[in-house]
Amino acid sequence: MAPGVSKRIKTLSLTRPIIYGNTAKKFGEVRPPNAPAEHTHLWTIFVRGPQDEDISYLIKKVVFKLHDTYPNATRTVEAPPFELTETGWGEFEINVKIHFVDEANEKMVSFYHHLRLHPYHNVKAEPQAPNDEISSIYYDELVFNEPNEELFKILVSRPGNLLPSNKTDKCIFSKQLEQEEIDRIKIGISKVDNEIEELKAKIAKQLEN
Amino acid sequence: MSSSDIFDVLNIQQKSKSPGSTNSPTPVASSSGTASNRAPKTQVTGMQRELYSLLGENQPPLVVQPSNKFKEKLASISKPSPWTYAPFKANLSVKLHHWVKGSKELVGEEPQESPHSKYNVHLTIPSFSREEYESFMNNAPEEQEKENSAQNDEKNANTDSKTDQDWTFEEADYLFRLCRKYDMRWFVIYDRYSSEKRRTLEDLKETFYKVCKRYFTAKSPDDALLSSLDYPKQKELERKKYLQRLLSRSAAEIAEEEALIIESRKFEMAAKKTLNERESLLRLLDSPNSDQSVSQYLSSQGISQLYGSLLSDKSKKRKHNTNVPENPWMKQQQQFAQQRQQLQQLQDRKHDGQDLASPRKTKKQKQEIQTAIKRKAESVYAEHLLKNFNQEERAALGVVTHGEKLAPGVFLRSTKVSTFKPALQNKVATILQELDLPTRPAMPTSEVMKEHEELLKGIATLVDLKKHLDKLEAEKSIVK
Repeated sequence: MAPGVSKRIKTLSLTRPIIYGNTAKKFGEVRPPNAPAEHTHLWTIFVRGPQDEDISYLIKKVVFKLHDTYPNATRTVEAPPFELTETGWGEFEINVKIHFVDEANEKMVSFYHHLRLHPYHNVKAEPQAPNDEISSIYYDELVFNEPNEELFKILVSRPGNLLPSNKTDKCIFSKQLEQEEIDRIKIGISKVDNEIEELKAKIAKQLEN
Repeated sequence: MSSSDIFDVLNIQQKSKSPGSTNSPTPVASSSGTASNRAPKTQVTGMQRELYSLLGENQPPLVVQPSNKFKEKLASISKPSPWTYAPFKANLSVKLHHWVKGSKELVGEEPQESPHSKYNVHLTIPSFSREEYESFMNNAPEEQEKENSAQNDEKNANTDSKTDQDWTFEEADYLFRLCRKYDMRWFVIYDRYSSEKRRTLEDLKETFYKVCKRYFTAKSPDDALLSSLDYPKQKELERKKYLQRLLSRSAAEIAEEEALIIESRKFEMAAKKTLNERESLLRLLDSPNSDQSVSQYLSSQGISQLYGSLLSDKSKKRKHNTNVPENPWMKQQQQFAQQRQQLQQLQDRKHDGQDLASPRKTKKQKQEIQTAIKRKAESVYAEHLLKNFNQEERAALGVVTHGEKLAPGVFLRSTKVSTFKPALQNKVATILQELDLPTRPAMPTSEVMKEHEELLKGIATLVDLKKHLDKLEAEKSIVK
């Protein structure tokens, strides 16, 4: 770690979108040669930018902690693309740790991703990839609150927060989707507000009696 | 084990002083022989004795001390005092003997009066002839009637006068003779009384006292003791009846009676207690101007006034009455705190005088102001850094100047979704599901998160309101 003596810029935060998830596919005719006999799926877990841009200016390495039954369960990917392909037969929680570049002088970010191999029938909103490929992809944002000056310089030199304005097959996370979600939530809020009004009226009635 | 045994075992031919005992190792049973032989050695006991027995003497293992089983002889030096078997006069006719302390010369030959004869006193029971009886019995018939009616119920009056008449002189005389003979011991008299007519003990007593009374009224009508000769026959009969009943109770009845008595005691105690309590309560209630009329307290205003005065009075009283010792430690602490505050105020004043002439503020307020100033400077600096970027560029960079105090560091925005207490969290999740919304927004951008937070807040309010409503309804149902 570089000696990060630089000052943090107070009251300021920087945001970078990030996408993580996994894709999975059943073995077809061809089995990977060195896959154990009980394995049925080929899956890939990844951490990337929303438009598959280079994020190595920010991320130094990504550590995937697999299930203990895998040999060398802790896999470290030190160069882009930050992804890992394995075979397996079951779903489990993968611990993902994102380490940032030394200049940032930030602690790593750790989260869990549930490896998905099988489709869920009740989820409709999930984008269905062709060829029976299962995918479980999440959008999130890395928030650097009060970054130090060096990180600030790095981030400022590379605008990367903009999302495409429209949904595409390649990148569904877009301004459009964001707006759609906001609208959905707004509908929910109005519904809740209505219910609150109703309840208030009921309570008032109860209190009157 | 005697020493001779040891010698036997060791096969040592012993030369004993006491011949005969060497051959027979049997212990000498009688201690008297040995005691006479070795008189000075009988006193030795304990360890010494064991040592002695090892010396080679054929001694018994146990020294039996001769003891006397009888009482010790009286070692009196004084001469015994003389006693004389002397005659005495028990009665006029009977002469008896008894032991008297003193020598024969002192007592004398004459048979003496018994010292107990002075207790042999007989009652003087009036005697009368037939004429006398007739005269004083018929002398005051009116008086008799009056007495009868006064003493007895009207019902019994007739029977009494009748019984009065069927007592002849002979019978009365016989009764008086018996009384004289047995010294008014009524049960004996009743036992010995033999007449063709059946007389109860009470009859006998009544007649005796009546005749006596007549006799004495005829003799000395002004005697003050005359009234003591009244005999209330009915009361006596009742008394006996009660006693009879009291003595013929069964064990169960006795137990029940005792239980009842205990119970009644309890009631009495409780009553006493409640009385005391009520009294104290009344005293308490009366304490403010009890001498005035109640009419002024009858209105609601008056009652509230009374209540207020009572409260104030009580607090006053308590202040006066509580003699609870103060906690010295608390007092000291308070003092310390006061001192510290004063010191601080002094310092603050100095600072304020130098910096700004603003009115004094609490420490917290000042801190807040300070941080606000600092924050402003910081945000100014942040703005300065961003001054080259316009709004769109800022959005592209994802730069925001929030101006808030947040923990520095990196985090995923989705982790900042508000959470609630577990129970509430479940309800919120259910409502979100009903609204067809995910618990984690699909795109946790800052805009979306803002909306999501608002939604969650709304849902929390909703849950709270529902709870309130349920509670109200439950209360209603209970009231109904």
